[in-house]
Order: sequence, then C-alpha cells, then structure tokens
Amino acid sequence: MNVRRVTWERFALAARAGLFFVLSGSCLSIVSAARIVCAQESAVASSAAGQSPASAGQESRPLDSAQLTSYIDAKLAEAWSRAKVEPAPVSGDAEYLRRAHLDLVGKIPTVAELQSFMSDTRADKRRKVVDDLLARGAHAQHFANTWRTLALAGAPDNVDVSGVTFQFDTWLRLRFAVNMAYDRLATEMLTAPLPEARRANPQPMRSSLPSPAAFFQANEFKREQIAAATSRLFLGLQLQCAQCHDHPFSHWTRKEFWSLAAFFDDPPGAMKRPEPGPADSKAIRIPETQLTVEPEFIGGHAPDWASGATKRELLARWITQTDNPYFARTAVNRMWEHFLGRGFVHPVDDFDPTNPPSHPELLDEMARQFALHHFDFNYLIRAITQTRAYQASSRASSAHDDDLVHFARMPLRRMTSDQLFASIVQATGFREERRTRERQPGALPDLASAAAEFRGRFADQTVARTEAETSILQALTLMNGKLVSNATDLENSETLAAVADAPFLSNAQRIEALFLATLSRNPSEQESKELGEYVDSGGAASDGRKALADVFWALLNSAEFALNH
Amino acid sequence: MRGSVLQSAGTELNRREWMRFSWATLVGAATFPWLESHAAGTTTPGQKKACILLWMNGGPSQMDTFDLKPGHENGGPFKEIDTSVPGIKISEHLPKLASVAEHLAIIRSMSTKEGDHGRATYLMRNGYLPQPPVRYPTLGALVAKELGNPLADLPSFVSISPYRNLNPAAYSPGFLGSQFAPLLVGEARPGADEQDERDYGLKVPDLLAPHQIAAGTADARLKILGSLNGGFMSDHPGAPAVGYKTAYDSAVRLMRSAAGKAFDLDDEPDTVRDAYGRNRFGQGCLLARRLVERGVPFVEVTSGGAGGLGWDTHADNFNTIKTLSGTLDPAWSSLINELKQRGLLDSTLIVWMGEFGRTPKINNGTGRDHYPNAWSTVLAGGGIRSGQVIGKTSADGTKVETRPVSVADLLATVFRSLGVDPTKQNVSNVGRPIRLADPAAKPIEELVG
Repeated sequence: MNVRRVTWERFALAARAGLFFVLSGSCLSIVSAARIVCAQESAVASSAAGQSPASAGQESRPLDSAQLTSYIDAKLAEAWSRAKVEPAPVSGDAEYLRRAHLDLVGKIPTVAELQSFMSDTRADKRRKVVDDLLARGAHAQHFANTWRTLALAGAPDNVDVSGVTFQFDTWLRLRFAVNMAYDRLATEMLTAPLPEARRANPQPMRSSLPSPAAFFQANEFKREQIAAATSRLFLGLQLQCAQCHDHPFSHWTRKEFWSLAAFFDDPPGAMKRPEPGPADSKAIRIPETQLTVEPEFIGGHAPDWASGATKRELLARWITQTDNPYFARTAVNRMWEHFLGRGFVHPVDDFDPTNPPSHPELLDEMARQFALHHFDFNYLIRAITQTRAYQASSRASSAHDDDLVHFARMPLRRMTSDQLFASIVQATGFREERRTRERQPGALPDLASAAAEFRGRFADQTVARTEAETSILQALTLMNGKLVSNATDLENSETLAAVADAPFLSNAQRIEALFLATLSRNPSEQESKELGEYVDSGGAASDGRKALADVFWALLNSAEFALNH
Repeated sequence: MRGSVLQSAGTELNRREWMRFSWATLVGAATFPWLESHAAGTTTPGQKKACILLWMNGGPSQMDTFDLKPGHENGGPFKEIDTSVPGIKISEHLPKLASVAEHLAIIRSMSTKEGDHGRATYLMRNGYLPQPPVRYPTLGALVAKELGNPLADLPSFVSISPYRNLNPAAYSPGFLGSQFAPLLVGEARPGADEQDERDYGLKVPDLLAPHQIAAGTADARLKILGSLNGGFMSDHPGAPAVGYKTAYDSAVRLMRSAAGKAFDLDDEPDTVRDAYGRNRFGQGCLLARRLVERGVPFVEVTSGGAGGLGWDTHADNFNTIKTLSGTLDPAWSSLINELKQRGLLDSTLIVWMGEFGRTPKINNGTGRDHYPNAWSTVLAGGGIRSGQVIGKTSADGTKVETRPVSVADLLATVFRSLGVDPTKQNVSNVGRPIRLADPAAKPIEELVG
C-alpha cells in the first residue's frame, strides 16, 4: 500500500505541475494516470474522513424542487455579481414553451398546446406545464433518445448494433416513463442478462424484448471497452487511455484500469479468452503482458465477495452507492447540460482535476440533493426547468461567450436529428407509410424512407450542441429533400393544405398560422407586412396558395426553426 | 466583404453586416463572380496542393498487385511485368500503371497492427485506433480544414461512392465538426443495381429543387429565407446560427454556381470517359480530376466492386483481383496522365490504400485473409520523389525486412507532401489537443525529405 501511495503522489505531482499539458495529445495515458490518481485520492481521502464528497461539508437537509431552484438561482446570481455579468432578460412565454417542449418532449409544441399555454393566466404555469408533461411521461421518448446516444457514444455504429438499439430504446423509454430511480436504472443496465455471443448463435438479436444489451453489444462485449464506457457514462471519467502500454508511467494505471475491466466477462457462448489460474479464479491477464489482476474498484477497494453477489452486481452496487463521489455528480452535470447546453464540468464526461467545475459548490449541492431524493430524475428536471438560468432569453445584441460559461443567457443549440425530424413532422403533419416489414419486431428500418434518409444525413452529430455543425448535405436535404418537399407541396402537406384552403382565414391569418406551427410565435409586424404583400400578390407563381407554400418552405428552412433557442 | 463577415462569425454579426452578406449570397447570385473562382483555380496550377485518396475497400492483396512473389508457393499465378522504371516490377494486370511507374512510390513495408475491418478502416483513415469518446476526424476532414477555402463554391472534401458500413466514423469529420464533413456522392447502397443509375449515381443528392419548383419560385423562397434569418440572427448570436448559415450559403453556392457543373460528366468527351473505364470507380476517378481542377483539396474515390467489399478476397482471390485490377488500371493511369497534361500532377498527391493487406499464404478457398503485418500502399504525384520502392518484404511475403512504415509515418508523409505540418494540433471534443498525425510519426524522408 505504501508503495502505491508513493506512486500516486508522483502522479499527482506530475498532474499539478501541468506535465500532461506538455505531453497531451501525444500521451493520453499520462492524463489518464493523473485522472485515476485523483479519483483514487479523493476516494481514499473521503473514506479516511469517514464521509464521502457527496455528503461532505455541512449537513444537508432535503430541499424540495422549488427550494432547489431557489438555491441554484441564488448561487448563480452570486456568481453573476462576482463576475459582473448581466443575465439576459427572462424569456417570453412562447419562447419558454418552445424550449421546454424541445428539451422535454423532443419536439416543438403543437399550435393547440401553444395557444392553451398562452391563454393560461396562472402565475405558475411554467411549473405546471413541466409537471404535466412529466406526469404524462411525454418526455420518455426524448430522454430515451438522449441516453441511448450517451450510452452508445463513440461505439462502432455497425449493423450489429443497429439491430439492438431498438430494444435498448424501448427499454430506456419504459424506465423514463415511470421515472425509475437512476441508481436502479444503472444497476439494471450493468447487470443485464446478456444474449449469447453472435458466433454461438447467428441470429440472437432479432428480438423485440426490451433490453439494454446494446450497451454491451456496442462495446463488442469486450471487457476493456465496456469498462471504459461504464466509467465514462456513469462516473464521467475517461479511463480508456489507461489501456495504453507505451509509457513507463502508465504501468500502474493499466493495472487499475484492468482491475475495473475484470468485473466484466466474455458473453455466454463466446470463445473464452485463456485466463490465468484455476477455472474459478477471478483474475484476468492484462493483454500482451504477464500481469494478472483481480476485480477491484477504482480506489483499490476489494469487492465483498462473501455477499455472494455476481461481479457485475458488486460493481453496480459500488457505482451507485450514495457515497460514490462521481455517480450523482455526473448525472446532475449531464442533466444540467441537457437543459442549459453546457455542463458545470465541460465536456461532461471529463471529470478531472485539470478540468474543474465552473460552479463546484452548486454541483455538489445538486448532487447531494439528487442522492437524498433517491436519484429521482424528475425532481432534478422540475428544479432545473424553473431556474432563472433556464428561463433566460437567448437574445443578445452581440455574443459574449462568457455569458454561456456563467449560464447568464440561453445558448443557441442545434437540434438532434430526432428533435429536428420530430419537429418537422409536428409542424407539417407529415405521415409516412410504414412498410409492413418495418413493423415486425426487431426489423431493420427501411433505409429508403424519407425518415431514414433524413436521419442518415443528420445522424452524424458528434460535438457539443452549442457548437457550429451543419453540413452542406444537411442544408440541401432541408431545402430540396423529400421530407420538406412533400411537406411544402399543397397536394401532400396536411398543415399547409388545411391552412391554404380554410375559407374563413385571411392571408394574414394564414401566415400567422404557419408561423405558429413552425416558429411557435406570431410574425412580427414587419414580417407580417412583407409576407402579406407577397402572398396577396400571388408570389412568384402568381398563385396565392403557392405563395403560402413558399412562406412555409422558408419557415421550415429558417435558422429559427432548426435551432433550439 | 465576405471574408470579413466570416472572420467575424461567432463573435459578432450585426444586422447590417448580415443583411449585406445574406442578400449578396442567398439572393444576388448575379452579383457574384462564380466563374472567376473557377478560372482562378485552373490558371494557377501547381500553387494549390490537393490529395486524391483511392480507397480499396476490404483490403487489397499486396501479393497480387505491387509486391509479387513469383515462384514462391505463396505467390499465386500472376506474373510480374517490367515498368517504366528499370528494376521495378508490378502485376501483369496493371499494365497501364506500369507505363507511368515513374510517378509512383510503392511502399512495400507497411506494418500495422489491426486486422478487423471496422477498426482497421478507422486506423488507416483517421490515423488512430478508435478510442471513444475521442472522435478522431477522417483524413479528408483534416486536409479540408488545412487546405480548404470556406468561401469556395465547391466543398473542400468530396467522397465518391463511399461504402461506410464498415465504420461510419471513419468517414466522419469527428471533432472538427460538420463543416468539414465529406460531401458524399454516389454512396454505395447494398443491393442497388449500379448499371441502372445514370453516371453510377455520382451526383450530389438533393442538389436541385424538385422539378415542379420553378426557378423564380426558388429565388423567391431564398429571398424570404434570407429575410427571416436576418431578423433572427441579428439578435441571436452564437456558433450554431453561424454554422447553419455557412452551410446554407455553401449549399446555395453549389446549387447556383457553375461549380455544380463539375458533376456533369457528360461534358467530357467519350474518349476520355472511355479511357477511365465506364464503371463506377473509373467515372469516379474522372470526377475526382474535375473536382481537383476546380480547387477541391481532398477527394476520395472508393473501389469496392459489386457489394462494396470487393477487395476482401477470402475466396476466389485471383479472379477477383484480376477483375478489380481491370478497373483500377485504366482509371488510375488516366488520372495520372490527365493531371500531368494539366500541370496538376506535381501539386496533387494520389494515395492508394485499403485498411490492410492480405495473407501471403493462400487459403483452402484460393483466397487470402486479412493481413496487417506486411503489406503495400502506393503514393503518386504530389511532388514526391517517385519512381522508387520503399521497403522490402521477405521472400515468402510474411515479414517486413527493411524500412517498416507505420500508419502514422504514412499519414505524416501525406501531410508533409501537401505542405501541412503533421505535428500541428487540433483541439478535440474532449478538450485535449491532438496532432494531425501521431507524434511518433516519421515522414518517409526518401520521398518527402
């Protein structure tokens, strides 16, 4: 133990000296080394103090969601005043509703939802609308999409995986719909029964049963990949580089990494890797070395084998226990990023002493409260969506990136492909014939469909949503592709035809209806005037109905429609 | 004017600037010298560097193309032929290429460590093994960022008939973002009958508005769009809006400018089209030449044969390689000849590679399996010291005997020949700087030193 302790200190010193900045890029393993050290140190330090960082500091009393909102508001306001940042004004109701729907339900509100919200005179209608959506489980699909993407991030997006993402999606959706506690969700995921390996059973994946097996499949059932993905997803730690073997200092960290990996086995039916020792030994060999390791938690604690639990059960128990310093913080940080476009720790899966949180005290208290509330996601969502920061407008006369670090203004965010597709469907009334084949459980999606074509072109969204990332092909797809072309074709579009042919509407009202359906707001005076003149004159084709189609096309292609703001 | 606006992008875009910009680009196509930029690209050959990647999907057999072992039991039935460079011999099924061998640098000592299609494809094309969550960019995106002109009418990275199923991330701009994503044309779709498609589907998807939308209508729509966006962007600053607008401007330029003409292969004389070969790969190489002529810095053309994985010759290796050589030989040699005629060969590097080589030992199904230990890649043009062979494999082809070349070495050589510093860093999605090529890389001095 002493020897190891000395080694940690060496790494910690190296970390503090900023050594890895010099070496970064070339030697990620050093960075990981420092990371693991710090993970280990904090775990050790906290256990030594008899309390975990998640419950350190003064005794926390449970705050209800409104109290947590107030706490967050107070902490951010202090930070704004310290940094002399002026927060953006509170968003208007329509702006808020659109944002809340996009972040919760994954699509823009319908015109009916918008009108009912606007005519609601209750002072707490912003809270009510969120409560209502959560109570109905309306957010389940969008959160399933979000967590599916997180859980499968960076994994090879191959045919094997696409066959099981459907099952994973259903599995997640069912859990978000009933607001399953996050520790239980994580435990179920980590301890999921695994399907037979592909080699043993060539058709194992065509099942409609909800299952999180895609997480393991996406990581090719390899223990090192699963371990890296697990630590990243649930602990916000990037340990993957500790697999490396090209740096003398990384020897120790590799051991630590592989001790974590040792909790995972090859799937049933797979060719077993030759392992050292007797058959009942839990030890595994680190590839390309003679070193063997036993399953051990980050921080060097040995699992309680006497409990009779399986390796994965023991790991899940350790990850989700309330005194794990990373589990709750990582979840809170991800949830904050989901709604605010940026985590306190940014990027969200890089908890690291070199990458400290922007608001450490706030993150800690939110994590404590999340744990005190039995890892209740909806509690967090209720609190976050009522904060001053979440309600801040995205408007500004010029960009100060500082605003975003301080959460003083809502950043513009790109939509995910799912959000954009669902929003176009919502705005246009688009319905697609599904081929019979697609309805069968586990069937692969029809790649020639407008939906699949659209997702294919927009799927490749790999950087933070607050960064610029639109491709030429995406722009061409929105301008000229099947989906929007059909939606803006009077013969094919439900919304457009209904608006264009309603006898009781004036052109001004028709334009207003199209604005509400797409941008969730009324046209400005100037827009109303310019577009009214265009439609009244019949537009380019001297046909008022076609001129409305032109307006609808422009609305669907506008930055305001495509961005979450 | 346009440059200054884009430079200010992301920091400040005031309403007046925006209006000027948007009206000039989205609306006033006539005010814009589309043809001038094309002309500039062709009248200053040799100035601008470009790269054409010929990607052999599935892993090409070195033993039956560029590193034959006639007489050895591993050698197979193919004969070696002399080339234009005394002493250098290649496969008898690449005769046209043999006649331009003075422009080739054959690297016979590639040594990599990955034999899985998906991972090896990523390794060769992105330069690093997959290491989630780091999203390494593919080579084309890296080059596009270094050499591309964001204001050009054509995109800086075009991928012709890609087959991305093995690993979509190997075709992704990764942490560089969508503005460096490849424009995909003629993406291979399993099961599609390529002969049915005019020009083998080598067209930009959705480049044109649907036929029922008249030109006047399209203009009117863009004008409304410009006006709507102007209002929104004037009080909603931020990178996503700028990125959105940049993509739309590029897309509209592509739709509206003469640059889109690059994809009209009908403009070429029949003799030229025939010379490249009337097949997807041959016409793809012709398209690559047309794009490079117009200033596109990175174009890749995938050769996958029917089904996309043609070079993955686990069975019936020799007949398959003979057929694939039959399309490779005329296409590649025509590309070299035509670039040379146009004075573009010295500034255009052609890279020939797949994800790995194939086993020297012939398996029971007259096939060869995956083999990353010792295999070949080829560079051509680009001002490198061509007409030579780098490295040597053992008599049975199983080992590299001299001058092993790693993936990083190869990519560093590519960057160096393009005038790009391989040690340059980009900031990754996990916030850490990552070099273009792995820092351990040593460019092949014999070629670019």
